Amino acid sequence: MTVAVAGPPEAAPVPRPSTFVLKQVMAITGVIFVGYVFVHMIGNLKVFFGADSFNSYAHWLREIGYPLIPHRGVLWALRVVLVVSVVAHVWSALVLWVRGRRARGAHRRRRMPRLMASGARLMLPSGLLILVFVGVHLLDLTIGALVAPETFRSGDAYQNLVASFSRLWMAVFYSATMVFIAAHITHGWWTMLQDLGATGRRFRMVWITIGVMIALTILLGNALIPVLVQLGVIA
Amino acid sequence: MRIELEVWRQDGPQDRGRFEQYVVVDATPEMSLLELLDRLNDQLVEQGIEPVQFESDCREGVCGACGVTVDDRPHGPVPKTPSCRQHLRAFGDVSRLRIEPLRSAAFPVIRDLVVDRTALDRVIWAGGFVDVETGTAPDADDVLITHDDAEQALDFAACIGCGACVAACPNGAAHLFAGAKLAHLALLPHGRLERGRRARALGQVLDDEFGPCSSYGECVEVCPAGIPLAAVAAMHRERLRGLFRGKAD
Ligand code: HEM
Ligand code: SF4
Ligand code: FES
Repeated sequence: MTVAVAGPPEAAPVPRPSTFVLKQVMAITGVIFVGYVFVHMIGNLKVFFGADSFNSYAHWLREIGYPLIPHRGVLWALRVVLVVSVVAHVWSALVLWVRGRRARGAHRRRRMPRLMASGARLMLPSGLLILVFVGVHLLDLTIGALVAPETFRSGDAYQNLVASFSRLWMAVFYSATMVFIAAHITHGWWTMLQDLGATGRRFRMVWITIGVMIALTILLGNALIPVLVQLGVIA
Repeated sequence: MRIELEVWRQDGPQDRGRFEQYVVVDATPEMSLLELLDRLNDQLVEQGIEPVQFESDCREGVCGACGVTVDDRPHGPVPKTPSCRQHLRAFGDVSRLRIEPLRSAAFPVIRDLVVDRTALDRVIWAGGFVDVETGTAPDADDVLITHDDAEQALDFAACIGCGACVAACPNGAAHLFAGAKLAHLALLPHGRLERGRRARALGQVLDDEFGPCSSYGECVEVCPAGIPLAAVAAMHRERLRGLFRGKAD
């Protein structure tokens, strides 16, 4: 007896790069960002130890590895890695978003009241806000143009920072953005667990706890600085 | 109990579809969602109207044939329960329900509340099976497996293939379904022999036909089998393993 078996139909054209690859790109660039933002936050804390401490940290960033590595070598290497990562992360985010919308289909459904789902929904908006923030931040404190304080002087990082955060709207913008960065990291850290395939129950609990702690530390460490400048504690 | 129903009617795959209003005046709290639809259909037949098409088989939560969206929730308002096990008594004080098909681009509507879930079958065709000659039944203690592994494999094997997770997903992803399958088969001795090949083949269908997972977590709210989100992680683990190992097992 022969049995007719319905086989799989002709393969549909595969979207490239595959969703799987894009998610791995998001996860790896996400780790890089979290690491960078965390280290950056630690550096920022030097502002609590006064102008000299903060400025020498800013100076040290340009000198790491010298004379083995040329002046600003490490700084530039970091910048290249970060720029490439940002392009890859944002591009993957947009492609995945479009694919998600398409796969959902034409019918929208009311959202479920779930903290995690809200976190997922915030990812693209908060990511785009981070992108705007990075632009403003660079113009404000690195390049010294457009949105920079009038007294901006290249090399005097401490003074520039105080001058910038003395403006109320700028202090609010920095602190508010930190809330969204913290939300982005909390959900991103969770998603990383899924994307990198960690299934152990204990590992997952520990990982999620660490993620929340990292996000909170970054939020407090960074958002406190504009607040304290406004209160006149840092001057 | 009087229940006003707003039911999706669609004459065929090409039809645009619309909601129609009906009233069932003699509903009882013991009725399941499907029994409510049965009652409605009796009424419609009496009136000479074409009955509402929907799918069901076992009506006891094991086959995965049923599945409609009620007030925007796949399967219905009771969490983690298939449509056939959703009883009106559990809905609280309702007098109106909106019933439509499971919604996802991967599930085209065939008619009324019936959708084509062949996309899930294509995932299974790609690797949701164990491809070994089993011969006659071996002795029970021939191939040993730990109690924990057996329990975990059974938990993942509980998926009934209803597709509610896909309909619940704002991204139209089938990661929970596929992850349950991969995690289940990777834990068992016979399934392990094709672990890598299975993950690669199944993953490809997943990428081709469904959306990405962004950890919304709405799938686990509706999954009648209680498959946990760790299944999604298991899916990625199996794919990464299959990719780097490159072998059949
Ligand atoms: C401070 C900078 C940033 C950090 C620390 C960060 C971190 C992360 C992490 C860890 C993930 C999870 C990756 C995964 O496993 O899938 C993620 C996902 C995501 N990121 Fe970012 N990110 C940053 C900037 C951005 C920017 C500029 C965008 C702009 C569009 C963005 C958009 C997204 C989106 C949409 C997701 C979700 C992807 C998905 O799950 O489908 N992120 N981010
Ligand atoms: S994982 Fe749950 S919701 Fe998805 S198909 Fe299986 S039983 Fe249905
Ligand atoms: S009819 Fe079988 S699970 Fe609902």
